[in-house]
Amino acid sequence: MERRKFIQMTAMAGLGMGGLPLRGALAQGNAADLFMVSAFSGPFAANGKYGEMGGRLAVKRLAAEAGRPLNYTTIDTQGNVGVATRKVQEAVAQKNARIFLGGALSSEALAMSREIHKANGLYITYVGADEVTGSNCNKSTFRWSVPTYGAIHETVAPVADLHPQAKRWYTITPQYVFGEGLLNNAKDVFKAKGIEHVGNSYHSLQEKEFSGYLANAVAANADVLLILNFSQQSIDTLRQLANFGLKKKMKIVVAWSAGLDHFSTLGADICDGIYFGVQYWHQHDVPANNEFVKLCRENFKSAPTLFTAQDYSITTMAIKAIAQANSTDPAKLIPVLEALKWDGLTGEEKVRAFDHQVEKNYFLLRGKPKDKMRDADDFADVVGLGKSFVPQDQSECKFA
Amino acid sequence: MAIYLFQIINGIGLGMIYFLIAVGLSITLGLLGFVNFAHGVFYLLGAYLTYQIAAATGSFLVAALVAPLAIGALAFVLERGVLRHTYDLPHKYQIIATLGVVLIVQELVVVGWGPLGHGVTVPEALSGIVMLGGFPYPIYRIFVVAVAALMAVGLWLLLERTRFGALVRAGSESAEMVTLLGTDVRLVMSGTLVLGAFIAAVAGVLIAPIRGAEPNMNIEALGIAFVVVIIGGMGSFTGSIIAGILIGVIQSVMSTVWAEGSQLMIYVAMTLILIAMPRGLMGRA
Repeated sequence: MERRKFIQMTAMAGLGMGGLPLRGALAQGNAADLFMVSAFSGPFAANGKYGEMGGRLAVKRLAAEAGRPLNYTTIDTQGNVGVATRKVQEAVAQKNARIFLGGALSSEALAMSREIHKANGLYITYVGADEVTGSNCNKSTFRWSVPTYGAIHETVAPVADLHPQAKRWYTITPQYVFGEGLLNNAKDVFKAKGIEHVGNSYHSLQEKEFSGYLANAVAANADVLLILNFSQQSIDTLRQLANFGLKKKMKIVVAWSAGLDHFSTLGADICDGIYFGVQYWHQHDVPANNEFVKLCRENFKSAPTLFTAQDYSITTMAIKAIAQANSTDPAKLIPVLEALKWDGLTGEEKVRAFDHQVEKNYFLLRGKPKDKMRDADDFADVVGLGKSFVPQDQSECKFA
Repeated sequence: MAIYLFQIINGIGLGMIYFLIAVGLSITLGLLGFVNFAHGVFYLLGAYLTYQIAAATGSFLVAALVAPLAIGALAFVLERGVLRHTYDLPHKYQIIATLGVVLIVQELVVVGWGPLGHGVTVPEALSGIVMLGGFPYPIYRIFVVAVAALMAVGLWLLLERTRFGALVRAGSESAEMVTLLGTDVRLVMSGTLVLGAFIAAVAGVLIAPIRGAEPNMNIEALGIAFVVVIIGGMGSFTGSIIAGILIGVIQSVMSTVWAEGSQLMIYVAMTLILIAMPRGLMGRA
């Protein structure tokens, strides 16, 4: 080999090898970093596990549309406000994180929302408390899920219409921001519908034993028991009320259910005849949802749960905004999100610019008997669906 | 008035479950002086094995018989492999070792069974309700009270009327003396810990059709168990029954009187008893 040719080849090889990290760095600089914040350990670990599946599915599905590499990183908040706040602060300071998605509890989401807003970031969540897009709203925060106002209006009101003779309602409520939100909205609907609220039992977030509260509902001679807790606590409540034979004594309504997760855990025998309010239902027949269900069955060999669906939805929102803005700068993404409208998993979904709340459907389901189930996931019939949100003139959201 | 009477009856039923959860801890803590933070995982695994076996065989009875024995065997292995090495060490090492066991077992449960809970169907023969003063009460809960009462009698006979019970009590007073008399105290301690795990697993089996099996159920159980042990007095069998029923009744009655404070009042009761009787209701001097 000639000396000159050898030098040329060596130089090219060196350039090629040296160029690899450079290319990587360039790609990295162009990449969008999405930080999924949720509980991966502790009592709310299911949120993180199944949520991540949905988030990563959205990244895979929309990789081409994004127009840049997408890095998806998870942060375990442990369902703890203090841990969530500290980890968000660390991610902002050490990883220059600006785009956050998720949140297991209303309390931690409200705390993270403040931190992310301080860092001029973007936060899309799905927690329930009205405050997120109400009195504690900020320009950085968006919410996909229907808040407590809509959940109550789409469950209590239609059930009251379906059973006009059932005038005595009893409530079981967890005593924290989310439960209070549901209860206050329920009282408003009771008033509007001429329903007598015959009593309420508050309980702590650590409660596991609900038999005493169920006895209170029996003592109050209630026609309807409205359950306002969530997750494992509503599973415990339903399991115990079925043990106590309350399904035969009164109508049961769960205003905020995790849907398929609940049904699978409880089984058809317990769910039969109970009304459930859900943010998402896998059988809803719209193109985006049909495609999503197909993707889930291909990738996970199962129908999507609420956790998977909601992370898929908010990750989709973020990626669509990044693609449209052609930027990862939250200042450029926020105006795009404020005008965003798309075919989502629940039908047409769009963001309200004045409070950053997504307008979407909320479903009212009724558990069906085991012998009427068409497949292993066919636990319920959709009794109703609709969109109820605080009107702009009544909204407490005022962006600074 | 009827509601309060019902809540007292309901609280007694609840208290018998609390007794089963706590009595094993009381024995290991009071008689062996061993701080076992892993006690709750035996309850947790008892519930999960019940779910698994009942799902596989379709029989709650098979699950109820097999699960406690399997957990007892597991406790024996755990005692031999890990826990016995900490018996002579200060309590802080026992706490660290048993907390480590809790974390490992809990994560293994999540890996094996997933982060969501699983339900166990109430056996057909025990389903249904009876009416107590106008209030429905599940037949299964009556069954649980009956089993807990039988367990209590059996345990009392074991500890008070058998050679094993005498050795456990004697070993707690003076392990050296018992050893000098030719008894392997370590074996007695193993047996006591296994017994505690077995009873906790029975509690897990019985609670599974009421609350299902879920990965964090051991945390609540451990909290309740410590409250029962503190109120009843460490190592006191009778104290565990009285304390279990007492907190069950407090929790249940407070559900009507002041629902949001029903959990809080358990700890208020514990504090008051601790102030008035520092060794608990039946604690030894």
